[in-house]
Amino acid sequence: MESVEQDGEQVNRDDLILQQQREIEREISDSTPLVSDQLPLTCLTAEYDGDAVFTAKIQTLASKYKYMRRTRPDGNCFFRAFAYSYLEWLISNKAAYDKFRSIAETSKDKLIQLGFPSFTLEDFHGTFMEVINRVNPHNPGGVEKNQNELHTIFNEQGYSDYVIVYLRLMTSGKLQEDAEFYQHFIEGDMTIEEFRHQEVEPMFKESDHIHIIALSSALGVGVRVEYLDRAEGGTVKAHDFPEGAQPMVFLIYRPGHYDILYPN
Amino acid sequence: MAGSALRRLMAEYKQLTMDPPEGIAAGPISEDNFFEWEALIAGPEGTCFEGGVFPARLVFPPDYPLSPPKMKFTCDMFHPNIFADGRVCISILHAPGDDPMGYELSAERWSPVQSVEKILLSVVSMLAEPNDESGANVDAAIMWRERRDEFNRIAQRLVRKTLGLSA
Repeated sequence: MESVEQDGEQVNRDDLILQQQREIEREISDSTPLVSDQLPLTCLTAEYDGDAVFTAKIQTLASKYKYMRRTRPDGNCFFRAFAYSYLEWLISNKAAYDKFRSIAETSKDKLIQLGFPSFTLEDFHGTFMEVINRVNPHNPGGVEKNQNELHTIFNEQGYSDYVIVYLRLMTSGKLQEDAEFYQHFIEGDMTIEEFRHQEVEPMFKESDHIHIIALSSALGVGVRVEYLDRAEGGTVKAHDFPEGAQPMVFLIYRPGHYDILYPN
Repeated sequence: MAGSALRRLMAEYKQLTMDPPEGIAAGPISEDNFFEWEALIAGPEGTCFEGGVFPARLVFPPDYPLSPPKMKFTCDMFHPNIFADGRVCISILHAPGDDPMGYELSAERWSPVQSVEKILLSVVSMLAEPNDESGANVDAAIMWRERRDEFNRIAQRLVRKTLGLSA
């Protein structure tokens, strides 16, 4: 990184600390693929070796879900997991795909109307549409070819990250559109405006319920999140977003991180 | 990854060339490397920096625009928000969480929809209205607050220097 002055001029200590923190984070994250292959859920047991609560809960989950995919823990995991899982579902649901594609197509004008700068938005929207078109279920080659294409795209950082930028902007747009409603979810005295710029639009910022509700509502996509935590009882709590919606995207949440689930 | 950064930087360069904001010029130092730019910033009218043309250098990371560039003036500068070595210290050059100066919550931060143009416009505002709460140069911040005349004289000397005039 550039923050160390190579020419021996004044070195900013805060910059150095930040840089070191970044390097540690990068080391952890670079060892995980952006989106992994399908893995059996029992692969999680190794991480909670000997922990009775977690082991029992993983068993319960494994009876409902046949596979999972890990996502890189870089603060973008919710958006990456959501995008991958939803597009994978769309690959085998042509009518829903067509509907989503037209929502995606018109979303740019809507965001510009909401005040996003069209010049920089254009680039992300262009890449977003390119990705959507590359996994079009009407393309020749069938489901399997599209699935391989999706996996390749999502493990190419340039494409994968641009999809996330665009979903973050759509989420931010939804928060602005329904600011009055979402204001209630924000703790402390941050305004919606501040929250969007601080916690939603920038890359690598982790997602909370408010992000999930806003994105799933903006796209009309049901998301079920299974919570694997230390809470008492052998059952794993699940939550559907938006409430009462039929889930198409299934995610597992462990404190601080989202991965993708595949129901039986 | 650098492919999308290059595409974006080329688009920004084109935009800045076709429709440059007043008092700002910027572009790559060499056509072979779009990741290092030089910018020229005119001191804002009606301020102590009026009349000066201040050169600066911008260095873009390979994952631009996901992460912000760094910016450094290459001429002598004396300003509360510019380090002695020329590094510019304003909130838009930092993502939230990167908080070397404890910026205010409402301060504009880096996000991928920001641009070189937005950064340079913020720098022009910074020249016009220093933020003496975030002291990259504490001496300059104190002088700006307490001995404005002296600050203005130093600024005028820097202005003349950028024009190649004797101080």
